Amino acid sequence: MNFIKPVGILVLFVLLAVVAACGAPPTPETVTVVETVVVEKESEPVTVVETVEVVKEVEKIVEVEAEAAAKPFEGVEVNILTFVGPQVAEPLQRRGPDFTELTGATVNVVTVPNAELYQKALADLATGTNSFDGFLFAPQWIVDFAPAGFLEDLTDRVHNDEALEWDDIAPFFQDFNSYDGKVYSIPLDGDFHMVYYRTDLLEEAGLEPPRTWDDYLNIAKTLNGQDFDGDGEGDYGSCIAKARAQQSYWWIYSIAAPFIQSQGTSQGAFFNTETMEPLVNNDAFKRALEVYKETTDYGPPDELNLGVGDTRGLFTSGRCALSLDWGDIGTLAIDPENSNVQDKVGAVITPGSTQVLDWETGELVDCDETTCPYAVDGVNYAPYASFGGWAGAVNAAADDTVKDATYAFFSYMSQPAQANEDVTIGRTGYNPYRFSQFLNRQLWVKNGMSPEAAANYLGAIEASLNSPNMVLDLRIPQNQSYQQVELDRILAQYLAGELDTDQAAQEINDAWDEITDEAGREQQLEAYRATIGAN
Amino acid sequence: MQIDIKPQTQIEPNDKMTFLSRTWSKLSNWLERTSGSIFLWPAVLALLFLSIFPLIVSFYISLSRFSIALGGFELKFVGLDNYNRLLFGREQTHFLGLMAPPTPLSLFLFGLVVVGLAVFLVRYIRSSSVSLGGLLGRGVLVIGVAALVWILVHTLGPDGRPGTVAVTLIYVFVGIFFQYTLGLGLALLVVQKLPGRRFFRVVFLLPMMITPVGAAYMFRMVTDTSKGPFAPLWQGAGLTDFSWVTSPWGARVAILLADTWQWTPFMFIVLLAALESQATDVIEAATVDGANHRQIFRHITWPAILPVSLTLILIRMIEAFKIIDLPNVMTNGGPGTATESLTLQSFIAWRALNLGESAAIAYMLLFLVTFIAVSYVMLIRDRVVEKV
Amino acid sequence: MNRLFQRKSILRPSPASMALSYVALGIWTFIVLFPLYWLVVTSLKLPIQVHEGPFYLPFVDFQPSLDAWYYIVAGDLSKDTWRTYLNTVIVAPISAVITLILGTASAYALTRFNYQPRLGAIFTFIGCAALAIVAIAFGVPWLVAIISALVIFFLLLSTIGRRFKRSMGNDDIAFWMISQRMLPPIAVVIPIYILFQQLNLLDTRTALIITYVTINLPIVVWLMRDYLRSIPIELEECAAIDGASRYRIFWSIVLPLAVPGLVATFLFVLVFTWNEYLLALFLSGAKAQTLPYVISSQNATRGPQWWNMSVLILIMIIPVIAMAIVLERYIARGLLVGAVKG
Repeated sequence: MNFIKPVGILVLFVLLAVVAACGAPPTPETVTVVETVVVEKESEPVTVVETVEVVKEVEKIVEVEAEAAAKPFEGVEVNILTFVGPQVAEPLQRRGPDFTELTGATVNVVTVPNAELYQKALADLATGTNSFDGFLFAPQWIVDFAPAGFLEDLTDRVHNDEALEWDDIAPFFQDFNSYDGKVYSIPLDGDFHMVYYRTDLLEEAGLEPPRTWDDYLNIAKTLNGQDFDGDGEGDYGSCIAKARAQQSYWWIYSIAAPFIQSQGTSQGAFFNTETMEPLVNNDAFKRALEVYKETTDYGPPDELNLGVGDTRGLFTSGRCALSLDWGDIGTLAIDPENSNVQDKVGAVITPGSTQVLDWETGELVDCDETTCPYAVDGVNYAPYASFGGWAGAVNAAADDTVKDATYAFFSYMSQPAQANEDVTIGRTGYNPYRFSQFLNRQLWVKNGMSPEAAANYLGAIEASLNSPNMVLDLRIPQNQSYQQVELDRILAQYLAGELDTDQAAQEINDAWDEITDEAGREQQLEAYRATIGAN
Repeated sequence: MQIDIKPQTQIEPNDKMTFLSRTWSKLSNWLERTSGSIFLWPAVLALLFLSIFPLIVSFYISLSRFSIALGGFELKFVGLDNYNRLLFGREQTHFLGLMAPPTPLSLFLFGLVVVGLAVFLVRYIRSSSVSLGGLLGRGVLVIGVAALVWILVHTLGPDGRPGTVAVTLIYVFVGIFFQYTLGLGLALLVVQKLPGRRFFRVVFLLPMMITPVGAAYMFRMVTDTSKGPFAPLWQGAGLTDFSWVTSPWGARVAILLADTWQWTPFMFIVLLAALESQATDVIEAATVDGANHRQIFRHITWPAILPVSLTLILIRMIEAFKIIDLPNVMTNGGPGTATESLTLQSFIAWRALNLGESAAIAYMLLFLVTFIAVSYVMLIRDRVVEKV
Repeated sequence: MNRLFQRKSILRPSPASMALSYVALGIWTFIVLFPLYWLVVTSLKLPIQVHEGPFYLPFVDFQPSLDAWYYIVAGDLSKDTWRTYLNTVIVAPISAVITLILGTASAYALTRFNYQPRLGAIFTFIGCAALAIVAIAFGVPWLVAIISALVIFFLLLSTIGRRFKRSMGNDDIAFWMISQRMLPPIAVVIPIYILFQQLNLLDTRTALIITYVTINLPIVVWLMRDYLRSIPIELEECAAIDGASRYRIFWSIVLPLAVPGLVATFLFVLVFTWNEYLLALFLSGAKAQTLPYVISSQNATRGPQWWNMSVLILIMIIPVIAMAIVLERYIARGLLVGAVKG
């Protein structure tokens, strides 16, 4: 029997073509339908009186955003992509109905798992599918998306939006949500690392909160193995997440930053701003590697497999004396359902160093007035704005009305009336990023923080944010390859003992150089200098 | 006239009927003749539709570098760069592993395998049915097996470090060995007429029904040495300061345990169905003739389930090579790179937008699976099936 | 004493070996059930009870709470849960049934007919497909590309294609089919995404069903091929002599005999599709998302939400268990078929 007859093949292709053709005619896009609805609604006088019931700040927004119609976005549907809650997505879902009440726009929050968010957003944008109008994602990604024209330039909108109070947002976060001088996203969250410590334990042992990483190690060593919670088991001196493919690439830089950067933010801590050579194959970074590895000795036995969620759980259940984390522990610790350490938690700026890197020789030198101009009491601090907080961006390919509605929603979420409440709630995952949020301690006390704890927590945030030597997260093209692939893997190999300190530093150096060369050294250097303000 | 009309009116429906029945019989004849195609083609079409196209596209991606460009994306053709990096470049120690200098033992083992392969080749050349194609195929097979053994022997030594290739092979072969043995054992137990066997049958299926991601998280919970259910046992054994995740082999064993837990049911249910569909009268006759359990199993049951078993192992092998959820969730491929499988390596590259390298790893995996599956089919499956 | 080791009848074991069997089965039952028990216990815990160390028995060493259940089933996440649940319930069985029909038919074909696809034809086909894709990559409208590739294919087939007389056999077709499962899904996600985007099928259940059918077909073909081989061909021959058509033979003789295999295979395919994660994640947006993604989502910036995950895994496994219990009867029938057959 002759199997592949021309007839069979013909059938195959006809079928293929039919199947293909059936899908070919583009179905009318929902957006256009929505648009006509909007036009109709706007053309006729809208007589909705329910707005009377809406609270005060709500009225203010209505005034700002819509002078003519009471509900400017009646019938508009906004699809927003973010990752699955309760953190971050929860406030969007909770406040979505309020926003609908206010403006008429319906907000659909589409969530995907955290680890897949970047790919999902990218696939949607790069293939021109454009099924999402807004994205709540990491501002680090702007550098990939904005030059490709995927994201709407929000500069004008932000500056003309009184209710948003853009100037209330700390300048650092304003910058971080911009690219090439244009604003592309609105921050809903502010992130950098701080060290948390147990006030009760340190007091008992007569120890001061850590000022340098050496202090940190000493405290961890002293307290490790003591029984904090009285269950008869030894507890841990320090809990820092170290799992692979989690976020250890951020932790290592919190440790390395004060050893590497001392001349202010524009000096940079990742690459040499003249040659784009990685600043890793030197004594400063190696010292940081050793510190990071040494904390393992004072941590839980399975620390190499713990992510930040695990260490947070351990800290708030009272099993750790020290931890390095974002602002989350501060708010989680006051939640009685999740915490055994209410009012026992203190926070300080990420520890510093008394020695810094000499860029010429690659060796560590002692701090003095020239080497560490920003040192406080001889200690060089360099708080690291790892990740930088979740932010809302608008798809440039969306329909104009939809763009406006999407922007309005992110603005609404970021306005002090909403945001200042959300940042004080542990489960939202939002951390403070506005002046009004850490100056007004009343907000925090109202949500269960003691006045002392609030002063301490917000003081640490303020100290970090006001530091002229803050280290900006890497925001150059391919930043994922540099940090989340190569640095992450080599770090994991180093922590697991597959590589020693010198090998690890050398490998990171080589891997980064290769990525830089592939992407174009000049181009990368240009981008790096621009993002840290070195030009 | 009437006489004329009558037959006509009678004939007309008759004509119609014969026409209809003729077309019908034509049609059914045609259907009958082409039944071979009609049975087979739908599946072939479906596969062509969704498999060939992605296969070719992803091959092209593996030869290029992906980047985001204005308004979309760009694929820049880079030739074999991605493969080169895996096999000879920076990723070599990650992909193939860190080769330790050979020890006497490793040389001995390698020598043993080489001798075995040489014997295999010589036997073939001496046999009566030598052909160029057959020789070529066997040559490729011998070289491939020798290369794999060389890698395994050198990276699994005390100073070496297995790369993702070796780790994947360990997952596949060790995992399948335990899954098949356990599955067969359980199937033989359950096929007996025991009261309550329906209960066991259903219960034993449970692990397979959990979504792999969920099963992986579940095993992370269960194997946790400080908060998991076995923590007291662990501490009682004086292992308070030790956790399996910090030891490369500990972590691999944990993943193998989870894999075995989840996939033994797959072996179990197919083998059970195979055992149940064998004819009981043969066994009855054998029992009457005084055959014991072992003899019955050896001469009746085993040959009956062998074809199914071999297919089962092949299918499971192909699936096992794609292991990703367990290492990804339980250890993220750590400690270091100790538990990273090929698919996980590909996935990590993919997540960071390094689509070219990701596709290259996937294609290397495809080559590896194809090589092993073809060797398996040629060497074991076909021979055994022929014999039976 | 001797009676203890004597079997009363065929397949009915003696009391001693029965006891041993029960011990072995009991051990494995424990191994299977304990992790599931741990899921149940964890689903009743508050976060802090999970972090503080192992607690085993609700009410005895910790106070159970239904917080996580409430959160998933009726609370904040319930909307997501039920929407994705519905999608899973629709997609998995439909695609499993379609796969089973297509797969069994071609498995039957591969055991009862002889095929000889010619190598030349296959290579020209692959070449033309590659050509079409390259053309599309360079911006040629894809309908045009496919049609011209088709024309070229026929030209080649009727000229060069005929010169290659070497052909493949049934086993090669079967192996080609199984080889379609060898490439890890991660490598084909992007092409499939683009394909469905072109067809305007992204974020629909149809896309998921089509994808699942194709990825599971090879397994069905392979498993069913072995089952059908073990069914004696004599019955079919008799029926053919009596004038039954191929389709009738397939439907009323082959299928009933293959019920155990069909049921087992159906269960696998159902389970594979029920649990598939990566492709579902990419081919679906808000509308067609399936349940596994909700589970994976519970690992976010706060670390894995063990309690929520446990609830989700449990509610996800319940329908499949029910299915297994129902279908188990049919698997059991396999024994009867075997007896009749003899």
